[in-house]
This record gives sequence, structure tokens and C-alpha cells, in this order.
Amino acid sequence: MNPLDPFDSNIQLLQKVLDLRSTNQRIIATNIANAETPGFARKVFTFEEQLQNAITAKPGTLATTHSKHISTAPTSVSSVTGRVDEVEDKTGIGDENGVSVDMEMVALSENELLYETAAQLLNKKFTLLKYMIQEGK
Amino acid sequence: MDIFTTFDVSASALKAQRTRLNTISSNLANVETTSTPEGGPYKKKSVYFQTKPISFKEQLDSSIQGVEVTKILEDTEEPKKIYDPSHPDAAEDGYVAMPNISVLKEMVDMMSATRSYEANTTVIKSAKRMALKALEIGR
Repeated sequence: MNPLDPFDSNIQLLQKVLDLRSTNQRIIATNIANAETPGFARKVFTFEEQLQNAITAKPGTLATTHSKHISTAPTSVSSVTGRVDEVEDKTGIGDENGVSVDMEMVALSENELLYETAAQLLNKKFTLLKYMIQEGK
Repeated sequence: MDIFTTFDVSASALKAQRTRLNTISSNLANVETTSTPEGGPYKKKSVYFQTKPISFKEQLDSSIQGVEVTKILEDTEEPKKIYDPSHPDAAEDGYVAMPNISVLKEMVDMMSATRSYEANTTVIKSAKRMALKALEIGR
């Protein structure tokens, strides 16, 4: 990453993080909305690992864990989509519903905080960019 | 990104919980109703929740779902009999059929509906804060 390049890939990365966090927000909203729907399976959205792989992968190469593996892992930050997993947890008493509202609320505030962090970082980057464009005025 | 989908999801839950609360209030109001237009004592009603797809164009379509009340069912529980020969609705043997509603159960259900409603409003608030934060970028 060239420190003198104002439009570095961090902006793209932060943009992707905002995107993914906003999707995560919707998944958590789904869980909370359906906290009392019988038979509803809790959904978990994960993207951190995919994003990490995309950051460390060199462009044009496939990330593999074994020499014979053909990986379909995303190699650019923009192609990270995240993954939604259904947690088949039918332990809920009576309604076979695996949602724990307290856990979801914690996940919600965590997600929100991380979203705001990314937004703030992005904001700082643009402020800095503006400062540079205005020749430090 | 479409932050309004969160609103749709949570709003569907708010609507469902409100319907539930209405049903509970109807149950509580009729806890001593011995005659109804359909005949017999009032029957306790329960709501039935089901997931409801929120349609939008993303690939994660099916994983984002709201909730809706699809059915309001009448309880099949037998009415409880109370001996009160002077009651206008009393049968020949002096027993009155009363609705089989447990006030305690309804109250607990009511609290649960309220809390669930609150949880969903919190989600909406959180989504709103996130949207506002995104709007601050580049300001």
C-alpha cells in the first residue's frame, strides 16, 4: 500500500465492511423478529474469515490450504459476500425455537459499534484526503 | 445498501406482536364472559406466528425473513364449570360454563409480547443510528 496514494485499498475495504455489517444487521433483525416463531432456526452471518483471506490473498491467485486444493475463496475484497448459516437448534421449550434474544441483542450492539467504527475510519480518511487536497489549509 | 429492509423486518415483528397484544387484551377483557354470539362462553384465542419472506433483490433473499400472524386460533380447552344457580347463564344443574382463561398466563404472555416489541424497536433504533452514521461519511 502506497502511503502517498490517497485512494488506497483501505477505502474499498471499509466500504465492504459497511456493506457486510449492514447485511449482518438484517440477519440479526430477522432473528429478533422471529424470536417467537415456532420452529424458526437461528441464522448466523459470517464474513470475517472470507474477508481476511481476501485481504491476504494476492490478486489473481487462489488461496489454498493444500497443494491439490482448488479454492473458490474470494481473492478480491469486493467479491466477499459472507455466508449465512442456519443453526438448527431446537432446544427452545415448546416452540422449538433456537433464538436467544439476549444473545441477539448483544450481537446487535456489537455489530452496530463495529459498523460505526468502520464509518468513522472512512470519515477520517476522507477528512485527511480533503486536508491534502486543500494543501493543508 | 438497503438499510430499510431492517425496518421492514422489524416492523413486521412489531405488527405481529401488536396483534398478539390485542388478542391478549381481548382474552383478559372477556375473562368472565359467559355468553357469546356463537353461543357458549368466550373461548381463549391464541395467535400463530409464521416467518414471512421480505422480498428484495439480493442473493441473500431467503435468509432475511420477517414474521406475521397467519392464524388466530380458538383454544379447544373445555370451559370451567362454576356452581352458581342464580346466574342467568346457569344450566339446569346450576353450573355456569366460564371461559377457561388464566389471568396469570395472559399477564405473562402480555409481558413477553411487550418485551419482544421493545426488542424490535431497539433493532430499528440501531439501524437508524447506523444509517445516520453512514450519512456522516464525507461530511
